[in-house]
Amino acid sequence: MSKPVEKRTVDMQVLGEWVEPHSRVLDLGCGRGELMAYLVQAKQIAATGVDLDFHRISACVRKGLSAYQGDMTAFMRAFPDRHFDRIICSRTVHELNDPAGVVLEALRAATTVTVGFVNHGFWKNRVDALVRGRKVRNDVYTTPWHESRPANPLTIADFEDFCRVKSIRISRRAHLLGDWRTPCPALPNLFAGYALYDLARA
Amino acid sequence: MPEVAPAPSEPVPASRHLAGDDVGIVQPRDFIHPGPFTFKSGQTIPGFTLRYETYGTLNATRDNAVLVCHALSGDHHCAGWHAESDGKPGWWNNLIGPGKAVDTRRFFVVCANVLGGCQGSTGPSSIDPATGRPYGSRFPFVTIRDMVDAQKLLLDHLGVAELHAVLGGSMGGMTAMLFATEYPLFTRRQIILASTAKESAQAIAFNEVGRQAIMQDPAWNQGDYPRDGGPRVGLAIARMMAHITYLSDAGMDRKFGRRKRETTAGETSTFDAQFEVESYLRHQGQSFINRFDANSYLYITRAIDQFDPAGAAGSLERAFAPVQAESLVVGFTSDWLFPPEQGRAIALALLRSGKRASYAELATDLGHDSFLLESAELYTLIQGFLERSESYVFDFTI
Repeated sequence: MSKPVEKRTVDMQVLGEWVEPHSRVLDLGCGRGELMAYLVQAKQIAATGVDLDFHRISACVRKGLSAYQGDMTAFMRAFPDRHFDRIICSRTVHELNDPAGVVLEALRAATTVTVGFVNHGFWKNRVDALVRGRKVRNDVYTTPWHESRPANPLTIADFEDFCRVKSIRISRRAHLLGDWRTPCPALPNLFAGYALYDLARA
Repeated sequence: MPEVAPAPSEPVPASRHLAGDDVGIVQPRDFIHPGPFTFKSGQTIPGFTLRYETYGTLNATRDNAVLVCHALSGDHHCAGWHAESDGKPGWWNNLIGPGKAVDTRRFFVVCANVLGGCQGSTGPSSIDPATGRPYGSRFPFVTIRDMVDAQKLLLDHLGVAELHAVLGGSMGGMTAMLFATEYPLFTRRQIILASTAKESAQAIAFNEVGRQAIMQDPAWNQGDYPRDGGPRVGLAIARMMAHITYLSDAGMDRKFGRRKRETTAGETSTFDAQFEVESYLRHQGQSFINRFDANSYLYITRAIDQFDPAGAAGSLERAFAPVQAESLVVGFTSDWLFPPEQGRAIALALLRSGKRASYAELATDLGHDSFLLESAELYTLIQGFLERSESYVFDFTI
């Protein structure tokens, strides 16, 4: 498997292709602002991030980015419909208490919502569970169970089902193989390691 | 050019303060605006003085100035020492100095006592040239906007072309907010700590009790009292009560608990101070009356109560529409006077009106006074905001 550093870059590059230049973008769970900084540099977007952690907000501020410390749903509720061109939820959705609530609120506050997540239906993850009988551990999920944050892992099949049930329109999707680089030609729920979706209200 | 007191405010090296992280011995200066000044109320005074201090050097492009705005009872002395024998340095000495969060090797730091104040700037205790007596209640009604306009005249006088940043806590945050809205092209960054875009009913209520304590003291005499007199009892009580609102339940409990003080000989009454918190508040009240003017307290609390840019503009978004500055708003979890939600409201309104704004929140138990906290996290945040580089190396670690 490729190094985590490259994986993060690939993730950014896909998002970079989808983001319109000069658009107004909100990054949910923005962390230390790496994705926002990249998109500001590559696409001159007007970026704002939300995160719960003071030190991550401080790191964003140091990069010259706008960042807000607080709950992402409460933050989005403070904005009118379609205030943002795009809301990005990159590798955050599996840690949310109420993923449907967040995605639906994002669909109200933005024209487009991008969700990117690690596909736990990927065959190696299935093997981990089936053969090793252990929590998934790889170069993305590096920590053992007892050092991990609560997670609500999902698969591509789970996510597409969620969109169907909630009548969310999928306007674009990208399924990448285990290298997070090569497009997945078939059976994405089994062979894609990473998935990205552009969503819109139906 | 307006006249200025000749004393230089450049720090003078002093043996006691050679640690290198301190601006050293500083001297206040007076900016005398010789022409008439018209307040927002329409009332006019023939001229005014602002007492101020500066640290660091204004650069050739005259755009490295950082204006520090003080809170209700603060003053212009925010860093360094006035004398070797001083017991305490300026009120924000932990934040401002060479190599500190507000780095005086990079920035030209300016701090002025507000118009309406009593620490050397023109206010109700100043002599009205028309009568030869203190203005007292005849002093014009002061607003935060008037304070901002007077400080802008000082910055013009100092040759400041652009503010790198304006920052302040509590009322100082209100001052910063108005600098960014009233002088948008002049103000490049604002930092608003423990502040609000409008006081709650509770905060106004506390100020009103303070004002009543002053005005019900017979020595207030409708604001007409000699310079060495005045409503000392009322002012001390106002300060004691206000001081409680600057702390927090948990913070006071940690500092005082139910500890009792040692009784001194001759104290027999049940109502002498028994608890440490009582003698602490009495001391706060007593030391305040020796340095603060009761009429200034009335005028400045009124200015704070009246501050409501949203009320004037129709909405906070509309009020912030002219802002060009990038903003950093900081709230403190235990601040119940201007609670974090009020800081969030400022940041959210700035973001809704399309401005670049950040909000960060620190968990402390020091209440409203938390903005004066000695906190590495706060220093890193403020320094990062003031000094961030435009280009940096991407860090792709997960």
